[in-house]
Amino acid sequence: MTDHVIKVSNLELNYVVRHGRASTLKEAVISAIKRINLDITVSALKDINFTVDRGEVLAIVGHNGAGKSTLLKILSRVLPPTNGVVKVRGNVAPMLELGAGFNPELSGKENILLFGVLLGNSTKSMESKSVEIAEWAGLTEQINLPLRTYSSGMVARLAFAIATFQKSDVLIIDEILGVGDAEFQKKSRIRILDLINQGETTILVTHDLDAVEELATKVLWLDHGRQVALGPTQKVLDAYRQA
Amino acid sequence: MSNIYDSSARTNYFSELTTYLWKQRDLIKLLVKRDISVRYKRSVLGLLWTMLNPLLTSLVLWFVFVTIFKPKLADGTQFAPYVLAGVLIMTFFNQGFIGAAESISGGVGILQKVYVKPQVFAVASAISNAINFLLGLFALIVVTLMVGDGISIFAPLTILVVISMLGLTIGLALMTSILFIRFDDSKNIIAISLQLLYYLTPVFYPKDILDDKVRFVVSLNPLSSYLDIFRHVFANTGTATPIDWLYMFSTSLVALFTGLIIFKRFWARSVVMM
Repeated sequence: MTDHVIKVSNLELNYVVRHGRASTLKEAVISAIKRINLDITVSALKDINFTVDRGEVLAIVGHNGAGKSTLLKILSRVLPPTNGVVKVRGNVAPMLELGAGFNPELSGKENILLFGVLLGNSTKSMESKSVEIAEWAGLTEQINLPLRTYSSGMVARLAFAIATFQKSDVLIIDEILGVGDAEFQKKSRIRILDLINQGETTILVTHDLDAVEELATKVLWLDHGRQVALGPTQKVLDAYRQA
Repeated sequence: MSNIYDSSARTNYFSELTTYLWKQRDLIKLLVKRDISVRYKRSVLGLLWTMLNPLLTSLVLWFVFVTIFKPKLADGTQFAPYVLAGVLIMTFFNQGFIGAAESISGGVGILQKVYVKPQVFAVASAISNAINFLLGLFALIVVTLMVGDGISIFAPLTILVVISMLGLTIGLALMTSILFIRFDDSKNIIAISLQLLYYLTPVFYPKDILDDKVRFVVSLNPLSSYLDIFRHVFANTGTATPIDWLYMFSTSLVALFTGLIIFKRFWARSVVMM
């Protein structure tokens, strides 16, 4: 294996959706007896090829439904590819839809521990890190209160802090540059810049093309699950803006 | 050393899963702790509720049946601990099974975003219900002693029932979680089946009041064996034959392996559909 942190070759992902209203067991059984095939195969991604080297920042652009989030899920190992090969060296820290999966009954600190461990850390290392995380999120005083007492902005801050305080080899950022109030947006942007400048390999998905221009070293353009272009930021962005 | 993910690598499912579960023991511990603490935070009585809940359920059954029948079964067994043992086993099974299945179907939000093998959730949920069951044993000890019965010296063998029940509930939950994710109406069907299973287990009736046909059906129900063994080792009431032991261990293993294989086959397809 070469030095690529991420290598994607001939990646293809198909999934099956059931036609009509067959989301009940009753209907599924009836259609199976009548031998009606309700399954439709959808090709979500096809012929995707790219590599990301250490320290590179790859931005993925494309319209809604282009397959950006699906590609991120494959890179974070959540979805196995239908065909093709994905190789990733090291840990992936996903930063997707902040706060999804937090438990409102648990305290901020308990959520930090749970998510930190879920992302592959030991309980011990998270115990010591939780102080730092709470401090960065500005939640030191509320950290032992149940999460249901937090405002949505506080939850977003906490989630962002947990994800960015991971020791990871690949950072995945999905549409989170525009979260929270102006002050928090500024703070989170600085934090991401810090991580990128530290040489963290990053995959960035956003509709904010100015951010792409500022942060990315190369861009992958997807449209309806197909790879339209891959190359240096400026070149691909110019083409994308004209399309 | 950083780990390498290669989607084309072929590994042995069972050995990989076992290693994975061991590596994730911190996560399992935390999930168990979360399950238990969330359960008690919601109730005013806290930990006491674990003991009160089966006790009150048994009290209702006991009251109904003692006013109809007698406080003792025909063979001299006290009815109160008999019912409580039944309720504890059925609670362990029902909540362990449904809890583990829902830990996956309800955890889809997280499972779609972070790479965690979903089996971890099922294992943690089943373990927290096993702990719940073990706490409930205190209530059973109190009731058994109150009616003047003794605890058997073989009571520690209850742990074999617990381990078998873990295998059974995890296996069934893995199969069912796929149904829960795919079909909206599957929860109702499972709920009705569980109710039927409850009546086909000798929880609050002695087996010898049944006629031969019904007794045969009841003895085919694996939970009858689990329950007979539990009552027998715990307070030396009733009988447990070697067949019961064999049936308990084999249904546990078969459920676990079938569940693991079915889950592996359908999980990726199900998660991609959402």
